[in-house]
This record gives sequence, C-alpha cells and structure tokens, in this order.
Amino acid sequence: MAGPWWLQFRHWSAACLSTNLFESVPHFHGRSVLFNAASLGRALGGSSPGEERQQSPLPTQTNQKPLFTSPVIRHKSQLPCPTLQLSSCRRAHSDAKRKDPFTLAQKDLTSLYDDIKKELFVSKKELKFICDYYFDGKGKAIRPMIVVLMARALNIHSNKAGELLPGQRAIAMISEMIHTASLVHDDVIDGSDKRRGKRTINEVWGERKAILAGDFILSAASMALARIGSNTVVKLLSQVIEDLVRGEFMQLGSKENENERFKHYLEKTFKKTASLIANSCKAVSILVNSDPEVHEIAYQYGKNVGIAFQLVDDVLDFTSGGNQLGKPAAADLKLGLATGPVLFACQQFPELHAMIMRRFSSDGDVDRAWQYVLQSDGVQQTSYLARHYCQEAIRQISMLRPSPERDALIRLTEMVLTRNK
Amino acid sequence: MLEPKFLDDNRTEIRSKDCAGYLAYRRGQRTLSLFSSSGPSNWNKVVSDAEKIVGYPTSFMSLRCLLSDELSNVAMHIRKLVGTQHPLLNTARGFVYDSKNNLQMRGLVVLLLSKAAGPSHGASNILAQDMVSGIYPSQRNLAEITELIHTAFLVHRGIVDLKEWTVSDGPLKDMQFGNKMAVLSGDFLLANACTGLAKLNNTKVVELISSAIGDLVQGIYYENSSNIEENSLADVVDVAVWEEHAFLTHGALLAKSSQAALALAKHDMESQRLAYKYGKHLSLGHKLNSDLQPFVKSSMGEQLSFSLTAAPVIFHRQIVGQEKWHQQLQQAKTLRNQLDYSKLLATVKSEKGVSSAMDFCCYHSNKALEAIQAFPSSEARSALENIASAITKF
Repeated sequence: MAGPWWLQFRHWSAACLSTNLFESVPHFHGRSVLFNAASLGRALGGSSPGEERQQSPLPTQTNQKPLFTSPVIRHKSQLPCPTLQLSSCRRAHSDAKRKDPFTLAQKDLTSLYDDIKKELFVSKKELKFICDYYFDGKGKAIRPMIVVLMARALNIHSNKAGELLPGQRAIAMISEMIHTASLVHDDVIDGSDKRRGKRTINEVWGERKAILAGDFILSAASMALARIGSNTVVKLLSQVIEDLVRGEFMQLGSKENENERFKHYLEKTFKKTASLIANSCKAVSILVNSDPEVHEIAYQYGKNVGIAFQLVDDVLDFTSGGNQLGKPAAADLKLGLATGPVLFACQQFPELHAMIMRRFSSDGDVDRAWQYVLQSDGVQQTSYLARHYCQEAIRQISMLRPSPERDALIRLTEMVLTRNK
Repeated sequence: MLEPKFLDDNRTEIRSKDCAGYLAYRRGQRTLSLFSSSGPSNWNKVVSDAEKIVGYPTSFMSLRCLLSDELSNVAMHIRKLVGTQHPLLNTARGFVYDSKNNLQMRGLVVLLLSKAAGPSHGASNILAQDMVSGIYPSQRNLAEITELIHTAFLVHRGIVDLKEWTVSDGPLKDMQFGNKMAVLSGDFLLANACTGLAKLNNTKVVELISSAIGDLVQGIYYENSSNIEENSLADVVDVAVWEEHAFLTHGALLAKSSQAALALAKHDMESQRLAYKYGKHLSLGHKLNSDLQPFVKSSMGEQLSFSLTAAPVIFHRQIVGQEKWHQQLQQAKTLRNQLDYSKLLATVKSEKGVSSAMDFCCYHSNKALEAIQAFPSSEARSALENIASAITKF
C-alpha cells in the first residue's frame, strides 16, 4: 500500500524542490528511512575537534556544478544509506571555525527593534503600545538574521565589500514586521491566548484592536518598503503579503485525496512560511547584483530553508514538551490542522483519514491522532523531508563565493534541523 | 514622512487653519439657503451622471478579487452566520445592495479627478492611446485599489471582541467563525491592494497609499474607543479633534488616492496638492452631511439614535460647555438609566449645534469647489462640482 503512494510522493517532491535533487525518482520504502532530527543534528553539528577533515569540497565559483547530489539519486531502488548521507553532510558541515550565525549577524541586528519601533509612528498611546508589543527583543528574529547574512554573502559574492546597503538593512526590518503582523492576525484567527510565553494581543486588548494593530504594522512595513525605491523589491514583498493570506485560506480546507493533501500541505507551507524568507533573500540580492541566476540562488536558499523550518516546527508540535515553544503541545491538531507528521502517519494508520477530514473535531480525536502519530514514523519522516530541503538549500548557497556569512547560512540549516524550540 | 512639502502642512491645517478659516467664513455668510431639502435622490443622480463620464458603469471592486476562490469560499461560509449578530453579515449584504452609503464613491472621485486633470506635459512618455475615456489604466487600477482598501476596512471594522459576547449575539462558536472570516477576507482584500499597488510601478504612490492605510487604522482605532459613551464623556472633545478623527477615518484615503491619481499621470506637485485638497474637503463635508442626517430628517416611528460624537453634538457641546452638556445628558436619561435620544435631539436642536455643523459642511464643500477651479473646465470637473455641491443638500 505504501509503495505506490511513496512513488507519487516522490513525484511531487521533485516538482516541489524543482531541482535535480530528486530528478531520478527513486522508489524506496519511505518508512525505512528513519532519521531522528535530534540525533542527526548531533551528528552533523558535532564537528569533533581532531577529526580528519577533507579539503573543502565547496564550490568557490558561481554556477559551478553542485557537489551535494544526494546519494538518494545514485542509488536507485536502494535504501538511502544513513552513513552515506552523513558522510556527505559531514563534509559540508564540519568546519569548526564556521561562525555561529547569530553571533555573525548580531552587529547588523543590534538596532533592529529600535528601528522597527521608529517606523511604527502612531500618536495614540495605546495603539503604539500594542504595535510595539512583540518587538520587545525577545523574538528569535530569525528572518532578519537570514536576510542580513544573505545580504553580506551576496555583497561579497558581487565584489561589493563593506557595509550592508541601506535598502538591505530595511528589508531585514520589513521581513520581521510582515512576519509579526501576520502573527498578530493568526492569533486572532486561531484564538490563541499565548505567544512566546506572553499573552497574545487579542487576549489582552480584544480581537478588534489586535486586527487593527496588525494592519497598522503592515502599513508601516509597506511604507518602509516603498521608501527603498525599487519597484521590483516592492513587487516581491507584496507577493509575500498575498501568499501569507492565501496560505491562511488554504488551511481552511482539507483535501479528500491523499496526494493532493500532501501537495496542498507543502504549498501552504511555502506560502505561509517560505515565501517571506525566499522573497526577502531575493530582494537583498536584487539590490546588489543584476544577475538573475544569483537572485535565483538567494530565492532557492530562502525557499528551502523556509520550508524546512516549518516542517521542523510541525514536528516540534508533537515532540516538544509544551512550554518550550511558548504554546501548548498538539496545538495544530487542536486547530484541526493535519501537518506533515499526521499526513505521514495516515499512511500507516488509515484510521486517521476520517479524523483529518473532520479536522479532529470529534471527542477524543486529538488524543487518538496524537497517539497514532507517535506510534508511526510520521515525525521521523517529516524530519527527513526537512533535511532534504536543507540539503537543497546548502546546494544552492554553496554556489556563492565563500564568505563567513555564506558559511553561517550553511550552518544555519543544521540549526534549523536541530532546534528544539 | 511623505511628501513633507505639503502633507504635513495639511495636517496642521486641519487643526488650526481650517477652524480659523471656517470661523471667518461663518462670520461672512450665515445663510443656510444651500440646505434646501432636496433628498438623497439628488445625490444618487449626481453620482450616476458622474459614472457615465468616466466610461464604466461603476464596479471598481476588482472582479478578479470578488470572483476568487478565496472570497467565494468566504461567501459560502457567511451563510452560517445568518441568524447571528455578527457584523460581517451586514457588510456582506452591503456588497450586494448599498446605494445609500455609496460604497464606491471613492473610486469614482479618483477617476473624475484623473479625467479632469487630463494628460500632463510630464506624461509624454506614457502612451496616450492607452487612455480610455481620458483616464490612464494605472489610474483606473488605483481607483480599484482605493475601493479594495475601503472595503477591507469595512470588513475589519466588523470584528467583534469575543469577551464582550452575549447570548443574544448567537452561539459563541459562530461569532468566532465570523471573526475568522472577517479577518481573512479583510486581509485578502488588503493583500490584493498591496499587489495592485506594486504593479503601478511608482514607489511614491505605494508610500502615499500605504500611509493612508495607516491613517485609516488610526482613525478606526479612535472610533472604537469613542464608541464607549463613558470614554467619550471624559475626553476633551472639540471640533478640531472631531475633524482630526474624521480626516483619518473618512478623508485620508480619498485625499491621498486623489493625489496619487495625479502623481501617476506625472502632474506637478501643485496639481497633486489641489487633488488632495478636493478629496479631503469632500470627505469631510460628506461626513458632516451623514452626521447631520438624524438631526435634519424627520424620523417618525423609526428608532432614533445617533452618536454622541456626531458633528452637531460636538458643536453643541462646545457651544454650551462641558458642564451644561453633562447636565443635559443627565436630564435626557430615563429612569432605567437609558438615553432618551429624542429628548437629547430636541436639546441639541434648541441650540446652534446643528446650524454650525451645516455651516461647517458648506465650508468644506466650498473648499472642495475652490480646489478644482484650477483644472480646465470639462464635464468631469462639472461632475466633481456637482458632487461637492450635493453634500450640502439634505
């Protein structure tokens, strides 16, 4: 039963990744490919000192053929061997000198939240307070971090050393503003009362004010965006705003057909999470370089990291012990959402199908679905998929000229996979 | 922040110059003859005549948007709200029939101004043959975007605070669902406005319209807090404050869209400023007109109600002073501590609040007329004049 389904799954994966990663569709039994994200992370991240290191295999020129052709491709009809995977990855990841992305991006992000608050220019005190509420410096600011690292990597790649361009800095800020505005609205839609360990805006001030605050943050972001002065950049980020809404709409429905359902899920994931990162990366690229191939590298990196990021997020909804995420566990199930782990688990436990269709609305659905998912290898499968997206991100970014920032972006993909909150 | 050359001036103008100018104006002419009672049919005629001039029967709301999967989805779901008190239901009804509120007046004014200003010297590189009925395609898109934004906020205005939910609203679950639909459809309209704006290829215009969205949010936010009577009683409310609210909520979008329409055709700053002025004063006059409605029309049998922040009340409060106003408010309360609106109405009518608001309406109408005199005489300009005159009719 699982066989043909997997075959189809591979098919759209190939389409989705739109790269040669899955070009030759391997037929393998998905269930055997067990990767635990955490142990994988340890294996990848643990660049133990003294370990034999090969010369860096990373390409140093643009458009050089990527090195990270996944072993999956070469071994048709054969299980991808974990050791092979790991050895290939170790080469990519084992530079101990590679700087922590957070540290490296820090200098460009010190004034991030102050800059954002300056953009939120409101005379009414309460509205101002609400708009500033999430820009308290306690967020991870992962999007601005990716944007500034990407911008610096691209600047070096384009022989433009020195500081970030003002427009690039602005995009880092705008990416966080758009993200936050959408969170504020999402919390109303989902009726969430907690975010990042704080009470949500709708919980404290009510739904009406929350929506208006979100709208205001968006308008401020849009003004800052326009001031960059590039029509192309405005178009990219406006597309993000549309994607965010369309992604939210996609969450309203459930697809009957399983393959469609998975495609739907990944498309939603792209729109809700990856589009912002992908287009922000592309925008900073456009501001410094005129080569469309470079723009595409930036976009593909952002897109793949973004999807991986969300896949891991969906896994954490099952594995993280509640409070770590700042929201209750099984939050997605409670909202009626079938994410990666559930969709995979449905392969082993067809009983889940009916529950997915009724959006876990019957008594005990959430608990039963939770049990099924944990009994299945849905979590591992989703982590494995996330890993593939990260590999593709690495393959893309490796086409840029080496720089500490580029390497930090590679390192970041590991951190995406191993994060536990 | 944006076009600081005159926009900021305009803001201050609201508080000081306008009120001062208005006072001078009042001293000059006190006649109310303009307020002949030619009912709303007049307004509808003015609007439908104007629609013919811009070449399309009005439906500025993007069909693309209305026919999208997303909104048809919402439309389907809205059925579930029938029988509840969720405001989204009424907003949705308004899409189908709402001649009274002239849902799409903003788009119409943007097009008329575009046409009245004509092609500019700076626009020689824009292909003149792209013009339809003397209007550039980008200006038509802008008119559509203006309506999208306006509608998005009609929808977002109708979001309900669930903590204030009562049984009479309908099941809580349905109200939650109504909110969800309202957030999503409002966001969808706004997102379409954003992508539409981006396609105009003019970052100045994107900035200007984005700032109008910010103004609108601030105005509506204000509106929320002044809905609560106790709150508005404590506030120091005067005409200048009223006007500032009214501009944010009702004027900024039209003023800035009007300016943007001329910017798209590369008209000079002075023409843009005049378009902005027309849009601003027209909106304020229009708002005064609608605030005055309960005070000028005889509403026999109808449930009478009006906002305590409506312009005639604000004028009244300013005329009689806070202390007397509080007394009058107490006197208008019934035994069960409810406001007797007809009694309060009589109180307001007994003083000069209503006539002052009418004067103020005329003042804004005249300011709007004045602004477009610099445009060459044309049928589009006449239509704009008719619209500006119609807001002083009751």
